[in-house]
Amino acid sequence: MKSKFLQNTISISLSLILTLFLTFIILLIIGKNPFEIFYIIYEEVLMSGYGFGQALFKATPLIFCGIGLSFCFNASIFNIGAEGQLNAGTFIIALLLYYLSPLPTIINIIISISVGFIVSAFFGFIPAIIKIKKGVSEVITTIMLNFIILALINYFLINYFAVRETVRTEKIPEFLMLPKFSDYFSFFEGSALNFSFILAIILSIVSYFIIYKTKFGYKIRAIGLNETASKYMGIKVNIVTLITFLIGAGITSLVGLNYVVGYKGYFEFGFSNNLGFTAIAVTLLAKNNPIGIIFSSIMFGILDFGGLAINTIVPKEIMLVIQGLVILSIISIDKLVNIYFEKK
Amino acid sequence: MEIVEFKNITKKFGNIKANDNITLAIKENSVHCIIGENGAGKSTLMKILFGVFKPDDGEIFIRGEKVNFKSSLDAIKLKIGMLHQHFMLIDNFTILENVILGAEKSKNYWIDFLSAKKKLNSIINKYNLKLNIDEYISNLNISEKQKVELLKLLYRDSEIIILDEPTAVLTPIELKEFFNIINNFRQEGKTIILITHKLSEVKEVSDKVSVLRKGRLVYEVNKDNLDISVLSRKIIGDVDAISYTSNVSDLKVSGEELLIVENVNLIENGIHKLKNLNFSLRKYNIMGICGVEGNGQNEIVEVLTGINNKYTGKILPEDRKVSLVPDDRIKKGMIEEMSVSENYFIRQNINNYAYKKLFMNIEKMMIERFDIRVPYIGCRMKYLSGGNQQKAIVAREIILNNDILIFSHPTRGVDIKAMDNIHKEILDEANKGKAILLISSDLDELLSLSDELFIIFKGSFLKSFSKEELNRQIKSDKSRFIEKIGELMMGILK
Repeated sequence: MKSKFLQNTISISLSLILTLFLTFIILLIIGKNPFEIFYIIYEEVLMSGYGFGQALFKATPLIFCGIGLSFCFNASIFNIGAEGQLNAGTFIIALLLYYLSPLPTIINIIISISVGFIVSAFFGFIPAIIKIKKGVSEVITTIMLNFIILALINYFLINYFAVRETVRTEKIPEFLMLPKFSDYFSFFEGSALNFSFILAIILSIVSYFIIYKTKFGYKIRAIGLNETASKYMGIKVNIVTLITFLIGAGITSLVGLNYVVGYKGYFEFGFSNNLGFTAIAVTLLAKNNPIGIIFSSIMFGILDFGGLAINTIVPKEIMLVIQGLVILSIISIDKLVNIYFEKK
Repeated sequence: MEIVEFKNITKKFGNIKANDNITLAIKENSVHCIIGENGAGKSTLMKILFGVFKPDDGEIFIRGEKVNFKSSLDAIKLKIGMLHQHFMLIDNFTILENVILGAEKSKNYWIDFLSAKKKLNSIINKYNLKLNIDEYISNLNISEKQKVELLKLLYRDSEIIILDEPTAVLTPIELKEFFNIINNFRQEGKTIILITHKLSEVKEVSDKVSVLRKGRLVYEVNKDNLDISVLSRKIIGDVDAISYTSNVSDLKVSGEELLIVENVNLIENGIHKLKNLNFSLRKYNIMGICGVEGNGQNEIVEVLTGINNKYTGKILPEDRKVSLVPDDRIKKGMIEEMSVSENYFIRQNINNYAYKKLFMNIEKMMIERFDIRVPYIGCRMKYLSGGNQQKAIVAREIILNNDILIFSHPTRGVDIKAMDNIHKEILDEANKGKAILLISSDLDELLSLSDELFIIFKGSFLKSFSKEELNRQIKSDKSRFIEKIGELMMGILK
């Protein structure tokens, strides 16, 4: 059997099992009862509307950011700069929505989101053009740009836009906010889950079709799989790389839909809390598949909120350990499964 | 006395025998040349001697004793040294530091630079290498870097020195100096094994020559009986069967020009890769280009297909659509991780969506029409055998239905049946009115298919033969004609 789907399913399942096993051992080593801890997570997150809603809420920005990264990763563009890109886009979206609120709602939303997208994309354009023209690895340039972008946002926020004594922008008017799930389903009572989650799911499905069903998507993946052959097969490698980088970086701005438009109503410095890096893990776990990213994001959301639920028994940082273990095991198991499939 | 003896060495890579039952002896204190085309198995044999590869079968004797190398380290212990095609030097180290790296001698935990310096300087003087050991590598030119590589071998007291195509990077003057160095080596009692595919060099330095072709040892000759024209024929092989005849010969002459190349020059990194190329591809015609690899064939492909636009001159029409079967199927020909039809989907010109059904139909059609064997429909191409991969690439490029087709080494590494298949397809396309460019180093293929044959050497066409001339020459004295082509390819005859 040589199906890619089966291979991926096997390697993802095996790495999840391995992670679970290792977590067990770690919990035993620090003298806790793993069964008790897993039971609490099960009870608090999966069996409670509030907990489940919070897990999905935490998954939403990961989906947005992961989708952006999946475009890049499919083309073998290792964009490590999502953290900066998403902050830039979110900042701009929050500002524009506030300052353009006198405009008709629909126009305001279209302008704000588009400009936010463009600003994030611009911070993908810089590393893309350096890569294309000078062959400098995007890993280095995007990491460095993270620092620059965050410092710039900090400067403009503190000096021009922040509400006094805070590090956040003005709150956008209530009528611009996305509806919350709890307004319609009492099951989710109290959770911050909002309709940006639905938008994230739609975006995943659309992205899946673009990447796997359109010619442009095939070109993206072809470049990622074999750049030289792509060139010889008539693909304009530089152009596709550039466009993919722009789309990928641009999509990360949509994180703002969840935090700004769906939750707080403003941009706050440091809100992302390394979201751009966690999203790398989410995307790798899903093997760059947009549909897979929904599931891996939800899993990370559960871990994230589960960490809070068990905080009284073990430090919630144990969840970071689990996230790290997931990545390590997917990378190593993937290699093994691949070797096994090659031999067959 | 024989210092190295290969006995019945066989080495397989997959189904291909890189070395096929080679028995060869190398005399101590001599210069032994091993020549042959690319892929003839020279480098494989040398890597076996140097302990990089293990032979599947056969034995090696060094100084009369049977050896069984586990790695290069074992070979180095027996004073075998190899000069690789690519330099392995650290730019920011001096010559001294580079040479002693990995063979440092220490005194009380400190590296003993003093004695190393002494030894190096005495070697440099002995062989007249003209190097300053405190110079940084980054300040050296290519021939000096090569001397540093040689110095490494000498510093490690190598007695059997393998030189893997050392002259490809040298200018004529540097070449002369290099041969002097080799002669010095011989005088000092070293044994030199020189791998090359340049005949003129062989004549200059060698004591004995062995010719490899398709993994077999086909010819051996001593210096005294060396005849360049015999040698070149042995390298290329005898052309036995001309099995194809095309049936639309009147159309060929009048076929309209689909692609015109005028005064095309290409200079890259200061090297003149293509010089004043003028030719055209005609409907119904197959134009063959024949030459030793690396004489500009790849560049021609790249400028014609638009991958490289840095040339000067004219290539018309500008908006041409060209089908290309590239020379390296794995690196350039396909996306291994995708199926036959997905590869086609990327390559075709229409922008549509990817329906599974559409793919299935295309793939079924390709498989039937071109007799491609796939494990199942939609299987990724990496699970196809080499011959089937190549057939799939040929199929893909043909059903694109472009007017101009370029085949670069279309039958390299495929078995005879697939080769036959591909040749038939090429002829079919020509008969349908396509203009075809066939680049190959396989003379069989070129002579049987081409309507026109160009010999390329160092980026320019040395000579061209029309179909009539080809036929006449082949009829009158085939072996002499092949010798002549061989000499042209090697740049001996002008």
